[in-house]
Amino acid sequence: MLQRERIPLQLIFLQAALVVAWCFTDVETGPGAGVSTQPNGDRFKIEGRAIVPGIKTQDWVSTARVLVEGEEYVGFLRTDGSFAVNDVPSGSYVVEVVTPTYRFEPVRVDITTKGKMRARLVNYIKTSEVIRQPYPLQIRASGPHSYFMKRETWGWTDFLMNPMKDVYSTKKMMLVMMMVLPLLIIVLLPKVVNTNDPEMRKEMEQSMNMLNPNPELPDVSELMTKLFSGSKGSSKAGSSSKGTRPAAKRR
Amino acid sequence: MAKLILLWLKCVVLWAIVEAVFEDQVGKFDWRQQYVGKVRFSHFDTHVQSSKKVLVATERNVFAALNTRTGELFWRHVDKTGSEGNIDALLQHGQDAVLVVGNGRLLRSWEINVGGLNWEVVLDSGSFQSACLVGQQDMVKHVAVLKKTAISVHYLSNGHQKWIENLPETETVDYQAVYSDGNGEVYVLGVVPHSHIAIVVYSMEDGEIIKQVNMSVEAPWLYNIQASCVVVGQGMLTCVDSAGVSFYMLDLHLQLQMTQVPLQSLALEVDPGFHPVLLSHQPNPARQPLSEFFLQLGPDHYQLLQLNNGQIAAMRDFKPALLVSFATTGEKTVAAVMSPKNKTVSKCEIERSLPSRPVFSSRAFLHIACSVNLFSAETGRRLLDTTLIVNMDPNGGKPEKLYVQAFLKKDDSVGYRAMVQTEDHTLTFIQQPGRVMWTREEALSDVVTMEMVDLPLTGTQAELEGEFGKKADGLMSMVMKRLSSQLILLQAWIGHLWKLFYDARKPRSQVKNDVTIENLSRDEFNLQKMMVMVTASGKLFGIDSKTGGILWRHYLHNVPPNAAFKLMVQRTTAHFPHPPQCTLLIKDKDTGLGTLHVFNPIFGKKSHVTPPALPQPILQSLMLPLMDQDYAKVLLLVDDQYKVSAFPSTKNVLQQLQEMAASIFFYLVDSSQGRLSGYRLRTDLSTEQIWEVIIPPEVQKIVSVKGKRPNEHVHSQGRVMGDRSVLYKYLNPNLLAVVTESTDLHQERSFIGILLIDGVTGRIIHEAIQRKARGPVHVVHSENWVVYEYWSTKSRRNEFSVIELYEGMELYNSTVFSSLDRPHAPQVLQQSYIFPSSISTMEATLTEKGITSRHLLIGLPSGGILSLPKMFLDPRRPEIVSEQSREENLIPYAPELLIRTEWFINYNQTVSRVRGIYTAPSGLESTCLVVAYGLDIYQTRVYPSKQFDVLKDDYDYMLISSVLFALFFATMISKRLAEVKLLNRAWR
Repeated sequence: MLQRERIPLQLIFLQAALVVAWCFTDVETGPGAGVSTQPNGDRFKIEGRAIVPGIKTQDWVSTARVLVEGEEYVGFLRTDGSFAVNDVPSGSYVVEVVTPTYRFEPVRVDITTKGKMRARLVNYIKTSEVIRQPYPLQIRASGPHSYFMKRETWGWTDFLMNPMKDVYSTKKMMLVMMMVLPLLIIVLLPKVVNTNDPEMRKEMEQSMNMLNPNPELPDVSELMTKLFSGSKGSSKAGSSSKGTRPAAKRR
Repeated sequence: MAKLILLWLKCVVLWAIVEAVFEDQVGKFDWRQQYVGKVRFSHFDTHVQSSKKVLVATERNVFAALNTRTGELFWRHVDKTGSEGNIDALLQHGQDAVLVVGNGRLLRSWEINVGGLNWEVVLDSGSFQSACLVGQQDMVKHVAVLKKTAISVHYLSNGHQKWIENLPETETVDYQAVYSDGNGEVYVLGVVPHSHIAIVVYSMEDGEIIKQVNMSVEAPWLYNIQASCVVVGQGMLTCVDSAGVSFYMLDLHLQLQMTQVPLQSLALEVDPGFHPVLLSHQPNPARQPLSEFFLQLGPDHYQLLQLNNGQIAAMRDFKPALLVSFATTGEKTVAAVMSPKNKTVSKCEIERSLPSRPVFSSRAFLHIACSVNLFSAETGRRLLDTTLIVNMDPNGGKPEKLYVQAFLKKDDSVGYRAMVQTEDHTLTFIQQPGRVMWTREEALSDVVTMEMVDLPLTGTQAELEGEFGKKADGLMSMVMKRLSSQLILLQAWIGHLWKLFYDARKPRSQVKNDVTIENLSRDEFNLQKMMVMVTASGKLFGIDSKTGGILWRHYLHNVPPNAAFKLMVQRTTAHFPHPPQCTLLIKDKDTGLGTLHVFNPIFGKKSHVTPPALPQPILQSLMLPLMDQDYAKVLLLVDDQYKVSAFPSTKNVLQQLQEMAASIFFYLVDSSQGRLSGYRLRTDLSTEQIWEVIIPPEVQKIVSVKGKRPNEHVHSQGRVMGDRSVLYKYLNPNLLAVVTESTDLHQERSFIGILLIDGVTGRIIHEAIQRKARGPVHVVHSENWVVYEYWSTKSRRNEFSVIELYEGMELYNSTVFSSLDRPHAPQVLQQSYIFPSSISTMEATLTEKGITSRHLLIGLPSGGILSLPKMFLDPRRPEIVSEQSREENLIPYAPELLIRTEWFINYNQTVSRVRGIYTAPSGLESTCLVVAYGLDIYQTRVYPSKQFDVLKDDYDYMLISSVLFALFFATMISKRLAEVKLLNRAWR
């Protein structure tokens, strides 16, 4: 399995002209599982370059840092985006370029006691899995960080196109209730319930009366219409008389 | 399978209701302040006349460029903490700044305009001694670094080593200084202590030794060149000997003999007990230093001297003078002298310094205003119109360093600005004639502990509150009181309206909502509080949480450098007219001796209450919920004789203590002996040990002991399960989480342990061991759960583990919890997760009633503060989804916790080196106030369950009102139509 994977990998590495990779041809069980940090051993250097496509390096390097295994070792970026973290003993480390603006993927770098380096994808679940990355590191930003959630915007088109997009918003829920339910009642109810049935009719009337508890009290809407019609003066009155006339004729 | 799980997780994450910041909320209720730390080296950028930069290298391993106009940061580079990131030297040339870092381990060059690295080289091992820029024919192209055994010269352009030479006779000679004045030679100065000076001269070109002088120059009085010698004029090494009270001079080019010039021959006199110090100035490393130099004769006495043809002549005497400094612009060099303006010692100053032990340094600074004057270096004459008044903060420290930025004015005279650094780490930048351009409180870069205190009520609010508090005395008077208070409210409201109207007419720039101590008052939701911050330097700050403005500051003199602090709020603002009261316990870590500082947290003033003197080392301090008659909570202090003293210790308090003694328990931790012991208070205020747990210190050591926060509320006693039964939480307020680490650090054998102990009975509730794991362990202990994070050495990753305790399906005693009567051991559930980053600190959100769901706030090394919902850390997360778990809203188990940048509560406002996160409840149940402190301070609010109790910021008033109106008119119209229809039907 490992053998099969290794051949194309090496080809890629050959193309990348990375000589270091040759040193790892022997089958390794884990990523330096036997490699422990030696306090007095040699110190090595992790090198690489960070790239933000389309952005000049001087605009972002001053806010960037290279963190090796948390803050255990710290490196800074040169004005051309390259970096080197000095004085790192052998071991296996997660190397991360951090800036407040751009997102870089972390890379795991293994250093043997002899100072051989290799880089691979970080996989915290299968820690021994090896998917090679170029070394010296080439870390390309995968875009700016997205820190903000989008405000739910609301438009009529939104509502018409897919009203059920997120009904979780109470506001929309209310609107749906207000607009769709009466429509259903008006359109569907008469069809479903046989209105010609006199018993049914009686029942409905009763329930309607229930809704209007005191018929003696002047209705607000009535009051308002009177007010508006009153202010409009005679023309309004004329129109209203016009409205009643056809009814009279019909009789 | 893994992919499937990941997909599941992503789905879940997308659907889970999480809080995040919206873009329009930026800066609305959050703020950040960035600091650099106490300045060790500072250089003004002088290579461009109009430059606004000042470079600072600090004791907190930060290198930064500040804007001299505003005091803000241009850029900042934060290195590792500890000695490996320690900045040993800062040299500046043109637009490059060269730093020696980590005891001479690294040499770095920074491009100061962009803030990017030019180059970094590793130097050979060896402890760092000195570094200097080396010039040749007016061009500076090299930097020389002197180590204990070797000297190396590097190119400034790329850091490459030009040459490195081992120093001769390093066994006997202690090389301490390197000097060059542009003639193609590098002088290395060493000393054989109490014997003679050794000088090695190297050729700049190839590192060949041109000349070596040893044995011949006798200097038996000399042991530290850098402390007592400078090079002046044409290569004249000038030393001052405090014992012999004389100058010694040696021409570095000739190296014949040291000539002795007694100070008395110049009519100079050193203050008794003072070690005289020399100060010289080399404006350009490719040229010779000035022949004028300062000699400090006493704490406030300086003398300007001149070297002329091998003869020293006194030029001017400055007494009193606190600080002196040289500055060069163009071809002109000036000397700036800071002297106290008036020697009147105000009375309050004396009073303030009395309780502290009378130390010479603190007494020397009793002057409130100082003035800086410029003097021509060549002549020693005072330059006209160069006086600058520096008003010192009476609550601050004495000035320590003076940095002067000189510039040429249009009429060719010299103008200047001064940066004054004081003992309390404050930087003040002052322009003539005394306008403070900016102040940086660098003490805030090292906040140790903090508390948030409610602001006091305004007069009208207090009036209203008072009405409810008083006893009823008749209907009529109650009505009158109510009417009068309503009247007052109306008056205040009209006043507010008038102010709004008045402000609206003014241009916006003039309207300033300056928050001062006078107009501080609590807002209606108690969102604005006073942040009381205690810093390692001993300076206390009161900061308004809404704006971040510093409202008061108070510098405590004589705080030992390794002090531990504990801040306690004894009385809140709720007990008007008693002032709020905070007590700070300052404990010297070496001796264990403590002092108490009692102050008012709103005004920062020292309280009139005299704290008790603490003659014995303090082991433990605890705040009791008991109050004295003045509503101050009782503070108990346990000394090393296990005697307890109370503060305040009035009769009333002692009586209460006697009554309560049987129910007061406390615990002590001795991590060096691995001893954890519980004590009970006796009625005579002595103590009695009731339990002891020994954790063998040879195997593991106690790293932290965490109890629960006393102001935490738990709303629900249990969790409703999928089958509608209730799983009751084990809510033991006395539970302690003890974390241990193994002393064996081998990655196969190291482990961490967690122990849950009842603090009253000493009963071990639970014990867990995590094998192949090591610290640092971060723990949060709250409600019925403990979350801890550790490093797994086996898989080389950070892991989270959560322990939850449940009583089971039945509650033993639902009314009150007693540690002494709890027969059943709780059920313990545990689950672990992978976390894809190391963490700096961790804290849980806190709300007033505990109804809101909890989030963990995690400070990451990248500077982000992650708000991770606690529901991701739930040991009941099922591996296989069932109907019941879905009912319960449990997220299926996934091994890896995700870090989503949307969950960063501080978006791009990163907080460097987060040391602690403080959470405080606000008046709104949904809202938790958060302060993250480290190198920076960041304050914000979080809504772990979204803002369910207030209308959201984006609440659409327009939509709602338009819908309402539309519905209203629709009803009217339809009513009308219905009427018409009815009428028609009636006619039919």
